[in-house]
Amino acid sequence: MNKSHHAQKATGKGDPQCFTGEAGPPKFKVGDRVRIKDLPDIFYTRCQVYTRGAVGEVAVVTHESPAPEDEAWDNVDRPEWFYIVRFKQSELWPDYPAAYANDTLQTEFSERWLEPV
Amino acid sequence: MLTPTRQQVLRHIDLVGQLQPALHQPQHAPFPEAIDHALFRAYMRTAHDVGGEPDVPIQYEEKEEEQWELNTYVTCECLAWRGLWNAEERRRRQNVDLGQTQYLGLPYYGRWLLSAARILVDKQAITLTELINKIDEVKKRYE
Amino acid sequence: MAKKSPGEHKAAPMVEEVSDFEILELAVRELAIEKGLFTADDHRHFTEFAHSIGPLPAARLVAKAWLDPKFKKLALEDGVTASKEVGIDWLNPTGFGTPSDYTDLRVLEDTPTVKHVVVCTLCSCYPRPILGHSPEWYRTPNYRRRIVRWPRQVLSEFGLQLPENVEIRVEDSNQKCRFMVMPMRPDGTEDWSEEELAAIVTRDCLIGVALPRPDRKQNAQRPVHKAIHPVQHDH
Repeated sequence: MNKSHHAQKATGKGDPQCFTGEAGPPKFKVGDRVRIKDLPDIFYTRCQVYTRGAVGEVAVVTHESPAPEDEAWDNVDRPEWFYIVRFKQSELWPDYPAAYANDTLQTEFSERWLEPV
Repeated sequence: MLTPTRQQVLRHIDLVGQLQPALHQPQHAPFPEAIDHALFRAYMRTAHDVGGEPDVPIQYEEKEEEQWELNTYVTCECLAWRGLWNAEERRRRQNVDLGQTQYLGLPYYGRWLLSAARILVDKQAITLTELINKIDEVKKRYE
Repeated sequence: MAKKSPGEHKAAPMVEEVSDFEILELAVRELAIEKGLFTADDHRHFTEFAHSIGPLPAARLVAKAWLDPKFKKLALEDGVTASKEVGIDWLNPTGFGTPSDYTDLRVLEDTPTVKHVVVCTLCSCYPRPILGHSPEWYRTPNYRRRIVRWPRQVLSEFGLQLPENVEIRVEDSNQKCRFMVMPMRPDGTEDWSEEELAAIVTRDCLIGVALPRPDRKQNAQRPVHKAIHPVQHDH
């Protein structure tokens, strides 16, 4: 039986800590402006459609982990850096009320979804 | 000014917001040319990705947990603990693979439960025959 | 099997009614144990863990941070290490954590100009080890659809209206990080003990849909959907 990685790899460390050091240097740093790529939708992702094509700012460089598109089939060979990106709500929703121009939304992406602006 | 991608994405969210399970309006398999890019994307939409879809206010509720719901949660976690799957495999199966009708139509832990049953068969820990016979046997205990 | 209307609780049915979910649950659990995928002891052990979790440790973490600037700094920098000081080891109960929750807690600090609120639009990611099981409304497609796009409307439905100059920051928890909100300490709680402070940091405050008040130790009243066969706490 195909044993998933958690039990073997994460004991005593936790997940995502068990992938630390496997992704090489992160491509982005806090404060970088990034655009979310609009890659094809097929079968699985955790990159929400409402973020595609939007521009935000890296708020936190979080950790290394396999991307969900791979991990969802138990493929954990190629971890990537993950980033919490902050968006202005007005960037995401054209009808967002101007009175609340300060409002923001944050969510997290694996590196493959980000491109520099 | 919205980029073409943003325009497309926002139109997409409006469209999938209207794509509800069609219990009484079965869709007959259309000819291929009927599926344009927007419809293909709508059908490829992963059912769990609901953020931003229009919806009206509802009464938010608390819920007492059923015993089977807790048991299901624990079974799913034990299957991951002992290495049959990881949590991301579980989420894919219970939130996307089952399709939109079951996704929106079944209770929260009903989807957990079906994904647990499915993984046992898909990873060949049991045969479907064993599952069918076991369900039948458990049912008879309560008759 | 007869369909029960929502909320209806039959006091003493002549014949025990068992739902398809209950039958399938039993079938799956028995097969998994028979095939040695996990043991009955594993299931019992994890069930005990599931019974043991709730929002109190997260409330204590907030209260402790309000009282101790050094601890607050630790909580904001390393939520998992800070959790240990309120009795939560994120590696429990398996040695690598709860498989579905991972081990990367992030504490979101509210300020006079920033108010956080947490959602998981894709499922219901939630920091179970320190906050317990998520409430039903948090799991609904309705909350997940709307809070990311109309946060002020949704928060006002929870009784929370904030001025224009406060930035509402929605955190859509969609990967391995788990989030809890550290709200601001309310006025009128000077000289309160950690225990007194923790009592007003409700689950709703920790999700971000309410603010702590000195006169409130409960979540806002909402309808409770009763279970037909509720969870038995036997210890």
